[in-house]
Amino acid sequence: MPEPTAEELERRNRLQILPEIVSDQTSTDFPGHWPGENHAYDLEKFKKNFKVQFHTDDTASLMKAQKHAIPSSRRIDQVFSLIGIDASLANAFRRIMISEVPTLAIEDVFIYQNTSVIQDEVFAHRLGLIPLTADRLSLHNMAWYTKPVEGEPTATELTDQNCVILHLQVKCEWKEGGLEKAAKGVSDPNELYVNHSVYARDLVWQKHGKQTEWPEDDPVRSVYPDILIAKMRPGQEVIMKMHAHKGIGQDHAKFSPVATASYRLLPTIDILKPIVGADAKKFQGCFPPGVIRLDSVTSEDAKKYGELSEKEGEPKAVVANPMGDTVSREALRHPEFKDKVRLGRVRDHFIFKVESTGQWDSDELFLHSVQLLKTKAQRIKRGLDLMMK
Amino acid sequence: MSSYAGADTTAGASNPSGANNLSATEIDAHQRAVSYTCGDCDQDVQLRRGEPIRCRNCGHRVLYKKRTNRMVQFEAR
Ligand SMILES: [Zn+2]
Repeated sequence: MPEPTAEELERRNRLQILPEIVSDQTSTDFPGHWPGENHAYDLEKFKKNFKVQFHTDDTASLMKAQKHAIPSSRRIDQVFSLIGIDASLANAFRRIMISEVPTLAIEDVFIYQNTSVIQDEVFAHRLGLIPLTADRLSLHNMAWYTKPVEGEPTATELTDQNCVILHLQVKCEWKEGGLEKAAKGVSDPNELYVNHSVYARDLVWQKHGKQTEWPEDDPVRSVYPDILIAKMRPGQEVIMKMHAHKGIGQDHAKFSPVATASYRLLPTIDILKPIVGADAKKFQGCFPPGVIRLDSVTSEDAKKYGELSEKEGEPKAVVANPMGDTVSREALRHPEFKDKVRLGRVRDHFIFKVESTGQWDSDELFLHSVQLLKTKAQRIKRGLDLMMK
Repeated sequence: MSSYAGADTTAGASNPSGANNLSATEIDAHQRAVSYTCGDCDQDVQLRRGEPIRCRNCGHRVLYKKRTNRMVQFEAR
């Protein structure tokens, strides 16, 4: 059986990024494509070649940008690479993270009073979209709740296992002396009124049943306390009770645990002929900072390439960090780099970025997606076994 | 807003003559006052059945009914 050379394998594993098209997108490592080669799926081979690489994540900047009610030790914006995996699997994980990993979110809103300018249904919708957090083990152990449908027997009852009760009660009033200030022309709501804004931090969790045993220091609360739900003026009031249930993103986006989960293929930049001098500087400018480094032409380079004999010591473009490239193809626009650079992507190197809404950590979400895919595969296997009987 | 006409217009309308006139008045006695908001001065106005529709504070004749505390259920979708 002929074995392809390492260069040939590398060539097959690359997408080509040309000035106006992307080619070689599809993988060819499946049975029957290459005559005489065996490309049957092999678990041992996968185990041998598969690699996971963690990169510096963006959690710190995310936490800095917005106030959080979760510890800064949480990792909610991780970036990692899966290397040596087929696109079908990588994409399955991404899709499962978005739409099938369950989270807790507000589902039913019981409005007793709402004299704010936000209509009831809009208010309820806004409450549903607030990302909640709590003790993760307790959340994990929560049960599913199915809504009763008319004409069908109710499958589940509301219990402490499947329902979290939240309350919201805020009334806006004049501050002491606020009326006089307003008459004088003061318009800053902070000086005139109390409770003129309803924030996500005003949600109060009412423990019931077994929930009293959930950890004290990790109550059900909004991940982002400063989410503005409504604005009010004196005399306006909201009184509502909410039921939060476990659900999945397939049912409604509010249940999606990520915002969002995505991947890209690792970009490659191959410098085919040396780029030196002023061209090197220009070449560096064609890429985001840090992607291209400027070294100087060594005597070895000068020996190797005849055209560099006079140019020892001049700057030379070297690829430092292809992962930072946005693949803008700017380098392909300039005639001086023609036939000197080749852009591409590695077909089986997926750089995942999983930005969690805060209920779960990024890595927990990914592992959960793997577990869910496994469960699905086992279900199909059981079905097939049943069929063969 | 100075000519206060008295109970002539409104009282007549809310006092229908009939067989259950007496029982209606009996119920009235037990009924709690309903709170309205004045359309002019924004004050609370407590009204009982049969009383003139008028703000006690400024005499304005347009009153707004408040939203009740009756629960309405919505889906957060
Ligand atoms: Zn009035």
